[in-house]
Amino acid sequence: MSPLAVLRWGEVRRQAADPGLALTFLGAAGVLVLFVLYPAFRVLLYPSLHDYLAIPQSLRWMQAAHNSLVMMVISTLSATFVGLLFAFATTRPDIPGRRFFRNIAMLPLFAPPFMVAFAYILMFGRLGLITHTLLGMTANIFGWHGLWMVQTVAFFPLAMLIITGVLEAANPSLEHAARNLGADEWSVLRTITLALARPGIAGAMLVVAISVLADFGNAVVIAGGFPLLATEAWFRMEGMGDLKGAALVVAMLLVPTVALFLLERYWVSRRAYTTITGRGSRIERPPTPPLLKGLVVALCALVSVLILLVYFGVVAGAFTAVWGRDWSLTLSHWRLAQDRIWTLWTSVKIGVIAGVMTGVVGVVVAFLTSRSLPLRNCLDFLAVLPGALPGVFVGVGFVLAFNATPLGGTLWILATALAFWHLPMGYQAAAARLKQIERSIEEAAVNLGASGLRVLWDVYVPLLFRALVEAFAVSFIRAVTNVSIVIFLISPGQVVATFVILNMIQNNIWGAAGALTTMLLLLTFASIGLTWLLVGRVVRTTAVAG
Amino acid sequence: MMRRMWIGWLVVALLVGVVPPATAQQQKIVVYSALPDLETSLIHREFTRRTGIPVEALSVAAAGTLQARIRAEKDRPRADIFVGGSRDFHIPLAREGLLVKYRSPVAAEAKISPAYLDPDGYWHGWYLGALSIIINTERWDRELAPRGVRKPATWDDLTRAEFKGHFVMPSPVTTGGGYIFVAVQIFRLGEDRAWAYLKALNANASQYTPTAPGTITLLERGEAIVAMMWAHEAIGARILRAAPLEVTVPPDTGFEIGAVSIIKGGPNPEGARAYVDFLMTRTPQDINARYGFRYPVRADVGVPTGATPFGQLKFVKYDLEWAIQNQARIRERWTREIGR
Repeated sequence: MSPLAVLRWGEVRRQAADPGLALTFLGAAGVLVLFVLYPAFRVLLYPSLHDYLAIPQSLRWMQAAHNSLVMMVISTLSATFVGLLFAFATTRPDIPGRRFFRNIAMLPLFAPPFMVAFAYILMFGRLGLITHTLLGMTANIFGWHGLWMVQTVAFFPLAMLIITGVLEAANPSLEHAARNLGADEWSVLRTITLALARPGIAGAMLVVAISVLADFGNAVVIAGGFPLLATEAWFRMEGMGDLKGAALVVAMLLVPTVALFLLERYWVSRRAYTTITGRGSRIERPPTPPLLKGLVVALCALVSVLILLVYFGVVAGAFTAVWGRDWSLTLSHWRLAQDRIWTLWTSVKIGVIAGVMTGVVGVVVAFLTSRSLPLRNCLDFLAVLPGALPGVFVGVGFVLAFNATPLGGTLWILATALAFWHLPMGYQAAAARLKQIERSIEEAAVNLGASGLRVLWDVYVPLLFRALVEAFAVSFIRAVTNVSIVIFLISPGQVVATFVILNMIQNNIWGAAGALTTMLLLLTFASIGLTWLLVGRVVRTTAVAG
Repeated sequence: MMRRMWIGWLVVALLVGVVPPATAQQQKIVVYSALPDLETSLIHREFTRRTGIPVEALSVAAAGTLQARIRAEKDRPRADIFVGGSRDFHIPLAREGLLVKYRSPVAAEAKISPAYLDPDGYWHGWYLGALSIIINTERWDRELAPRGVRKPATWDDLTRAEFKGHFVMPSPVTTGGGYIFVAVQIFRLGEDRAWAYLKALNANASQYTPTAPGTITLLERGEAIVAMMWAHEAIGARILRAAPLEVTVPPDTGFEIGAVSIIKGGPNPEGARAYVDFLMTRTPQDINARYGFRYPVRADVGVPTGATPFGQLKFVKYDLEWAIQNQARIRERWTREIGR
């Protein structure tokens, strides 16, 4: 054994021997196993082997699986392409309006998961403002093509964020070098810029693909008679009360999402060949070819209009008497929405509980995985695993695992499901903060005789306050806008706003749906503002949508 | 130090703030309602005003979901009442022993026809509905009328080639209305001819909506021209939202008896009985007729606006027992042979 290994082993023994730390570790591991692993196993083991083998005989399920895969491919390609476009535009200093594009592109991240689909029905549906009233055409937005457009707009921001990160890290001197060697602009773009962005593009595609597969909110609103796995699980429950069928369908959905997730985590993210010299390159980026510049700006402007229409449509819907027929302004929808405003309060309560849980568990687990403890990789895996699980899977899992316990029927079951589904965001935010903390501060505390837990409380907790607030905010915002888990765990007395809105959309009560969604948006943006005041950073709700 | 304490207290305050304080109100009842939110909340507001019993309701316009919930919760029932949805959804629960018998004195007092009440007392019918053919007149006048197409008046008319891609109905797999429609075809034609009919109809169908209101939504927006759906939903959309819809109840149609039942082991059985009694009175049936356009079972409540009196409709001979016994098999066959 080398001296270094002895030293490390010593540290492991020292930390493992700290009883407080060991107990915390056991506690955290227990909580993760209970709320992440156990529901997942309940789903997978609920149908029998015979049920699994019978899947290929169900015409409808095979159709749904086929459709889900087709949507995954086309929406991922289009969303990644648009994301690449925006990433390119925002990393080039000579593209006009790049800040504007970047801010606009963030907007879909904060929209409730059904909002893009809802707004596009208002804009481009049979009674759509643009298609029907302005252009006088008969358009049918329901089906795969409508869903394709909606998912592209809803998920390209994820691709943009990931690809931007890679493009920003790319060293402009490589582009200069290529140009000096005589390459023309297009070759530079192809062989340098895009080549360097390739791992980012691959990573973006995988993340977007998981989101598309898991997308429930948009699909349930706009897919029409087009069966998809994410919605099929709900229809099984909703119409037939077929829990076994629902479990089978979400299990089918799990296979590709976990595969994509593992691919992203253990393959793509490890071969990011960002420039060797690292960050801090001060060389100016070379000018963008004018033709390309024009093209990029035009396309980004078009997509920006599509995004603004999402917000415009919903707000306009809330003030229009009868959409498509009577365009006079009215406040009557707000009266109906006000009648349901208590559902928003329920959403807030659940969001607060979920936010606190995500924050606390995320910070504790991040602290534990930063220690040289045995099995810390397992803990890390459990904390990021929910990122691979579609919302409908978590929903069915919690129904199977906890509905029959005292947790069932209370708001705690919903809050717990949401908290642990969003755990990867809280955990990763905390882990990133921990990496920034100078190790010597901790060593100083230890030398002064502090125990492991004392170190956590006195050194890390104050420093992790920002991580905690961020994790809370992300989890809160996503909890109050969630539908995919909510629809499985809703119960009387815990009716939340998104559930009511979804029902209103489906029952053609568009005005009140628009009004309630507007209130939900105000809540979301208020919490973003508050978080910004507290930690001085804008929250990114980047993660698997659904 | 101060900051840390502040955070700690903040967390505690938030957690305490979300736990509701125990209140000394009259004990609430929990209701699973398969009726839309609007009618449900109006009826419940009235119920609470009369009895002082607060209601916590979950409205899901799909009786199958609620039926499934009640099954799933049979070891720890959370709701007291299952209201709405055809008796077809209540009877299986009664047979599985998940409902409680009750005979409302109000029903006897009001002389409600025994046809609408379970002879065993597990469910009380309190509204009626009939299946119908609905067209979107706006699109009809623009697209089909100029071609001289005749309006559909019978179930058989729906299979005419002019309606290809223009027809919608609720899914027989996930909704009660869709299932009753399929059963009606079987009672009308016999099983073999019924499947041939359904396949011909399938050639015209643009989609089968997973929830019943979904069909009316599509038709109202003009996403389809012809639909099969409960007449009252269309009449409601026409009157409340000025939707351009026209309703025809064809001969040999099917109907639902909208029921209410008490869930066995629910938290508030006394409140549940008061609820059933209340639904047998005039007020809720009147609200349901006014806002839901469903036929009341009480003779002293008026027929909903725009509806043909129930007695004048021509119904197929509906074998309820057969329809319940064969429910799983028919849905299975639909999934296998129609596949959507």
